[in-house]
Amino acid sequence: MPALDDGAAPPVALRMAIAVLALVGLFIAVYLTLHAFGLTGLVACTTGGGCERVQSSRFSAIGGVPVALIGAAGYAALFVVAWLGTTPRFATGARLPRLLLALAFIAFAFSAYLTALEAWVIHAWCPYCVTSAILATLIFLLSLGELRMLRRRPGGRISRSTNP
Amino acid sequence: MAQKGTSGGGTRLFYILLAIVAVAGIASIAYTLKGSGGAATKPVDLSGLENPRQLYEMATAVKQGPDDAPVKVVEFADYSCPACRQFDMQIMPVLKQKFLASGKVQFIFYDFPLIEIHPHSFLAARAARCAGDQGKFWEYQDALFRSQPSWAENQAAPVSDFEDAAAKLGLDKGAFSRCLKSDKYADIVTANRKLAEQLGIDSTPTVLVNNRRWMGQTPQSLEDLIQSDIPANAG
Repeated sequence: MPALDDGAAPPVALRMAIAVLALVGLFIAVYLTLHAFGLTGLVACTTGGGCERVQSSRFSAIGGVPVALIGAAGYAALFVVAWLGTTPRFATGARLPRLLLALAFIAFAFSAYLTALEAWVIHAWCPYCVTSAILATLIFLLSLGELRMLRRRPGGRISRSTNP
Repeated sequence: MAQKGTSGGGTRLFYILLAIVAVAGIASIAYTLKGSGGAATKPVDLSGLENPRQLYEMATAVKQGPDDAPVKVVEFADYSCPACRQFDMQIMPVLKQKFLASGKVQFIFYDFPLIEIHPHSFLAARAARCAGDQGKFWEYQDALFRSQPSWAENQAAPVSDFEDAAAKLGLDKGAFSRCLKSDKYADIVTANRKLAEQLGIDSTPTVLVNNRRWMGQTPQSLEDLIQSDIPANAG
């Protein structure tokens, strides 16, 4: 299994934080997915009416797949990877921080795109979408911080050597 | 098990946090799936409707008859209102037969759910528009008015009554239910209601014939008003 050099301690606390944030994001995305499939209503989604406008806009689905469902899949992947990164088997893997950063970057970029649409095209704000964008940003910053932390540690260069 | 970089206590806290998030998330989603099945039953809070242009853009009527008809008959109606039911069952057939069929009149319908006194009229307005997705707005509207006494006074939101009515008309019940149990058209119905308020309309049905309010009570007085606006050489 790929490993960190010289026993550099994996920043498990950061991964735990990412996992918690990703789980929050997952529930928000699942709620919005149910909303997109007509299974929930306006129970908690009336501030400014933004959610109705955002969710009913033509940008709420890509190729017929609701954006919220894509978000749910992304958060689920982030949660699984971050959580695995806290377990003994995968904590020292070298691929994991890169995979986490790649997923976090995709989530961040996708959120930035959707937020830009809300601001400049749809002209409406859905509080759930904004919360999700904030979560994606935090997750990206944490995963970026994690990678930097690993690289700064003495001997902490990420290698592909095998964990003893 | 604790990892390097965190303590056993930290790991415990991590799993406690995950459990809290999971329980709160599942409970919130379960809560939203209860009640009226998620169907929007009240006007929504839309920003920007104070702006007449935005209000005009969002308010959306359902029309029948040609756009170039010499007479425009506009109705603001509430599906739970007995007088609107009477208009639909007694006057509309005459309008259809005498004026709509010949293209002399364009009939323009706006929702005006008086939710303060009729708690299900907003949902009914949305239901009719959901039926309109499948091309049966007018048929469904007739069905709603016809069956009004059986659902208007229900305690609970008459979601299943509306679904049954859709099934009876041969609509795709699944697609109709998905629409009804969402907030689809909540924005339009809200805007229509706001438009009525902005126009100073305070009762239903309010009927305008070429922008003149029909104050009569009889079908004949409406016919006369329409007839007076039809050019002599039309039709």
